[in-house]
Formats: sequence, structure tokens, C-alpha cells
Amino acid sequence: MSAYAPMFLLFAVGLLLVLAFFVGTSLLGPKNKGAEHQLPFECGSESTGGRHIRLSVKFYLTAILFVVFDIEAVFLYPWGVKFRSLGWSGLVSMLGFLSVLVVGLVYCWKKGALEWEK
Amino acid sequence: MSLWFALSPLIVLTFGGLGLMMADAFSKTRSDLALGSFLTFTSAGLFALALWIMGGVPAAVMLKVAPYIVLDKFTLFFTATICLGGAISSLLAGGYLPEHDIDRGEFYALMILAAIGAVLLAAAGDFLSLFIGLETMSLGVYCMTGFRRTNPRSAEGALKYFLLGSFAAALMLYGGALIYGATGSTSIEGIRTALTSGEFGTLRDPSRLATVVIAMVLVLVGLAFKISAVPFHMWTPDAYQGAPTPATAFMSVVVKAAAVATMMRVLLVAFGDKASSSWSSGWPPVIAGMAVLTMLVANFIALRQENVKRMLAYSSIAHAGYLLVGMVAAWGQGNEIVAGEGRAALLFYMLQYTVTQAGAFGALILCGSKGKEAVTYEDLAGLGRRHPGAALPFALFIISLAGVPPTAGFFGKLYLFRAAVDGGFTWLAIIGLLNSALGAYYYLRVLVFLYMKEPAPGAAQATPMKSGYIYGALAIAAALVLYFGILPGKALEMAASAGKSLGAKIEVREVPTKMPDTATAALP
Amino acid sequence: MNAIPIPAFLVVAGIIFGIGAFGFLVRRNVLVALMSIELMLNAINLTFVAFNRAYPHNHTGHVFAFFVIAIAAAEAAVGLALVLSFFRLRKTVRSDEGDLLKN
Repeated sequence: MSAYAPMFLLFAVGLLLVLAFFVGTSLLGPKNKGAEHQLPFECGSESTGGRHIRLSVKFYLTAILFVVFDIEAVFLYPWGVKFRSLGWSGLVSMLGFLSVLVVGLVYCWKKGALEWEK
Repeated sequence: MSLWFALSPLIVLTFGGLGLMMADAFSKTRSDLALGSFLTFTSAGLFALALWIMGGVPAAVMLKVAPYIVLDKFTLFFTATICLGGAISSLLAGGYLPEHDIDRGEFYALMILAAIGAVLLAAAGDFLSLFIGLETMSLGVYCMTGFRRTNPRSAEGALKYFLLGSFAAALMLYGGALIYGATGSTSIEGIRTALTSGEFGTLRDPSRLATVVIAMVLVLVGLAFKISAVPFHMWTPDAYQGAPTPATAFMSVVVKAAAVATMMRVLLVAFGDKASSSWSSGWPPVIAGMAVLTMLVANFIALRQENVKRMLAYSSIAHAGYLLVGMVAAWGQGNEIVAGEGRAALLFYMLQYTVTQAGAFGALILCGSKGKEAVTYEDLAGLGRRHPGAALPFALFIISLAGVPPTAGFFGKLYLFRAAVDGGFTWLAIIGLLNSALGAYYYLRVLVFLYMKEPAPGAAQATPMKSGYIYGALAIAAALVLYFGILPGKALEMAASAGKSLGAKIEVREVPTKMPDTATAALP
Repeated sequence: MNAIPIPAFLVVAGIIFGIGAFGFLVRRNVLVALMSIELMLNAINLTFVAFNRAYPHNHTGHVFAFFVIAIAAAEAAVGLALVLSFFRLRKTVRSDEGDLLKN
């Protein structure tokens, strides 16, 4: 089973590759030659403000709730495809799984995590 | 016996956890969630005991959920231990959270859901359920650590714990993936079969052997991280100090119990074959070395602590070292009688450690009150004279941690070191004893401050809080510490019987019949 | 029979895992550390699915991948929440500036 042999190179290769990236960016990447070079020259308007805009934390909360509940759907697809052959036990198991999720959803709802305007 | 009854501890915990979530969301007034959480843990523990008394779960029932959940007596023992730790912690939370104005209901739900993960982890007979249990437990505990949202230390401890914990879990899972590649199986039994018999038996193929070795190292790192063994202990003092104290109590007993259970199952069953568990070519010398390192490092650092909570964190690491000594004894050079004694000693140690350590954190909670938590040795000065009622339980748990009779800690250490000597590891037992002596120094320092020092004039004094929940928790813990310290026979007998059932053959089905086939049929 | 051989996948997965682990250990930005962990988990998924081709009689590897995806999502949710609460109190996302807890 020498087919597995390459696997033992993998840590070394991974390390080398990352090192190559680091060296590569420092050689090839743009160099920061000071603030003067970043200013627009005889065109456009002077930039104001920083690059970072604060986003409301509400976006984070909504997005993360979406991701969590969305990912659970991954278990629904295989069940849906094999719905008939799984029969009642499959249905009951899936209902159990979903009811746990519903409890979580109701909890979020009651706690006000789904309200955009408080 | 029906499957429902066999699974009742898990089912009770699930319904309790979800019920508390709903109660927290719907009740306008602050309902008594601590009591609900305590009752959930108690009834789950009682169900586990009932199953034990009925002689354990019959093999026919066990097979229905094998290999994902193994319902042997070993699992029942750890379920009861985890529920005991959870019950004490939830009572502590019932006193601590309102006192320090962080009384939010989700703490109890998190605690119970984390305990479900812990029970699943202790019961896991397959890397799949093992990983799910591990993550369920860990995610809950991370949240509990960061529960004091306005306290930067809490946030910092939680973040460190989370980052290192997820990293360790990922390493462990990669280990699982490599084992799957090398043996074609992810179940504990299946791995053992693959390593001992058939074409893989001798692992003649060097690359396959190397895969298994790398995988074993990765899995060991993950497990060592969870029981906080040196050199994977960095997160422990920070997380323990930053977390609200009931969460610290929960982490130090429940997480450790579940991790010890998994470690025993993985090392003694999955890697229990002759080659992987030999002194010359397997994991035992690694564990023994880690045990020595853990005991020494933890005890020496604990000596220098000025913060009692942090000292208890290092003491918890030191106890992980003693548990690893038990792990070596539980291997017992492959000799079944010695190994049986070692397993019994290890399980008993875990049980007594659960009540003692949870009690010690409870006593620390009791010594402080709103606005002034007791954290340093100075805070405890003169407490024995000013408030003898608060100092006494602390003294009891401290001498049990130090291993002085007539407390549980004494028999825990006695059995553990005796098992190590019987297993031919006298040197390990001697190092352990020397470390216990070292540990006694900083434990006794607590007693000195409690009873022989007076607070510095003008220093802010911690006054003990008043709470029925805390009194109840301490009473339960103290009673059990004394019970295990005076009459350890029954508990030791149960530990021996639990240890014996670990890895005993139940006829394991070849491959889970339906679920995986159908689950992936959706893939093109 | 022109399928890509299994070791090729394993090497890719190993490299990704290595990048993740390296990034986790080197970078001091906790958000990057979080992304590194996700990278490691995805490398694990790839390993599982690739190995499954060597054992076609069952689907253990595929099932694992499903569960790892779900767990990774939960982990990211909790992790981001913890980073957020850390940021609120300390106004930084650098892990070396979390230095309140020391011996």
C-alpha cells in the first residue's frame, strides 16, 4: 500500500507552501512607500475618514442565526431523498430533530433575537 | 427493557434542558431555574442508578444503539458522576448568579446541554458520536466561561479556551480521519478489531502503521487538552479564573470526568491491542511521562499563586496528573487483574475528585458576597474566627484535596498509588506521593490563612454570603466526601464493576444498517 | 478508470490542514485564527470523503462530513460571539493583547 506514502509528506509540503507564500508576498507584493504615495495626485478629491466602517451588531446576529438554522437543512436532504424507504422511524427521528430546532427558534424569538428594531 | 428506559438519563437531560430554555423564555418573573436544573440532574442520575441496580442494560438493548452509544456499566458510572457534578454546580449557580447580579436563565440551560454532551462523550463508542459529544459539551462550556459579559477577564478566558479548544478538537478529528483511512472503521470496537486481526493485524505495511501512529498522537493531544494535562494546560488557569465560579466548578469536574471516560475508552479499548499498548512501542510511556510532567509543573506553579481560585485551577491540573497515573495503572502491563484494580482506582478517584473539587469551589463562593468575591489568600484571613460556619466546609474540602484521612481524597490517592505499585510502577507512585506532599503545602496554606492569620488592618474584608442553594450544595458535597472517606467500600466496588464492563464484548453489528446508506444516497 | 487517485486528495487535504494549523499558530488576529480552524475542519472533511473511496461498502466518511459541517457552523457562531464580547470590552481583536490573566 505505498499509495499512502505521499500522505507523510503532507505536513512538510503544507509547511513549505505556506513559507513560500510568505516569502512570495514579501518579494512580489506592493511595498508601502509612505503616506505621500497613497494620496491622489491632481485628480479626485482628498479622501476623508478611515477604511473601517462600523456595522451594526444586528447584522452579525441575524447572519449567524441564519447560518446555524440553514446548515441544519443539510440533514434534511438525504432524509428527503430516502423518505419512503426510511418509513416511520425515519419520520419520527426527523421530527424529533426538528422539534429540538423549533425549541431553539422559539427561544430566539422570545428573547427578541429576531427583532430588527428593539 | 425498552430502549427508552435504557436511554432515560440522556432523555431526561434533554427534556430538562429544553424545558428550562422554554421556562426562561416564557416566564416573566424569575422562576426557580436553579431548582429545576438541580432536579433534572438528580433525576437523570437516579435513572442511571436505577439502570445500574437492575443489573445494567441488557446486550440486546445495547445493540440497538451500538456502536454509537455504548450503554455499559462504565457509561452508567460516568453518567452518575457527571450528573452529581452537574447537580452540585447548578445549586452553586443558584446562589452565585443572583448574588453577583448575573442572574440570567440561559446559564442553567447551557449547563444541562453541556452535560448532555458530556454524557454522550462518556458513552461514545464511535468517533462520530465522540466528536458530537465533545463539541456539544465544549460549546456549552465556552459560553458559560464567558458568561460575565461585562468582565474583561471572563471574555478573555472564554476566548482563549475557545480558540485552543477548537484547535485541539480539530487535531483530534484529523486523527480520527487518519484512523478511518488506515483501518476502514471509526468505531472503537472496529478499530480494535482492525488493529488486532486480519490483514491489518500486524500492520506490516509501514505507511499504514505510520498513519495509525500519527493518528494516535493527534487523538492523544486532543484528549490531553480536555483533561488539561501538561503541556496542553495553558488554557486551564485562565479559563478557570475568568469563568464565574459555578462554571469553573462545572468545568473542573464534568468536563474532566467526560474526558477521562473517553480517554479510557479510546486508549484501553481502541488502542488496547498488544502493539499499541506496550511499553516499548505504544502510548503507555507517553502517558506516564505526561503524568510526571503534569504533576510537577502544576504543583510547582500552584505554590506561587496568590489567587485561591487560580491555585485551585492548578490543583485541578495536578489532579489530572494523578488521574494519568491511574491511566497507566489501568493499563497494568496488559495483566487483567492489575488492570482491573487500576481501572477501579481511577474511577473511584474521579468520583471522589468530583465531589471534592466541586465542594472546594462552592466553599470559595460561600466565602465572598456581592461586590467582594473571595479570591486571594488575604481575603480568607481570619475567616475561621469571624465566620466559622463558612470556614469549616472550606477546610474539609481542602484536606480532602490534600488527601488527608478521614476524607474521600485519602482513599482516592491510596487506591490509586497502590494500583500503580501493583502494576509495577513503583517509581510513578513515589513521584505521585512526593507531589501530594508538595500539594499539601499550598492546601495547608489555605488553612493557615483561615485559622491562624488575621486580616491586614484596613483591608477590605470578604464577608460570607447567605444562600440556601449554596448551603445545600455544600451539605451534599461534604456528606459525600465524608461518606467516601469513611465507607469507600461500596463506591469502590461499583467502580470495579464499571471498570470491568469497559470494552467487554457485546456483539457489535457489522455496520450500522440503514442510516449511512440512505444518508448519502443523495450524493451524486 | 481515469479517476484522480485518492492520495492526491489526501495531499491536498493535508496541505490545507497544514495551512490552517500554521495560520492558527502564527497569526495574532483572533478572526484569522477562527478562519484557520474552519480551514482545518474543511481539510478534515476532504480527508474523510477521500478515504471513503477506499472503503466503498459503507458511507461513514460521507456521514462524518455532514456532521462536521454542522458542527463547524455551530462553532463559528459561538466563536464569533465570544470574539464580539471580547472586542466590546477590550476594543481589539488581537490575541496577544488579551493579557489580563497571568500568573
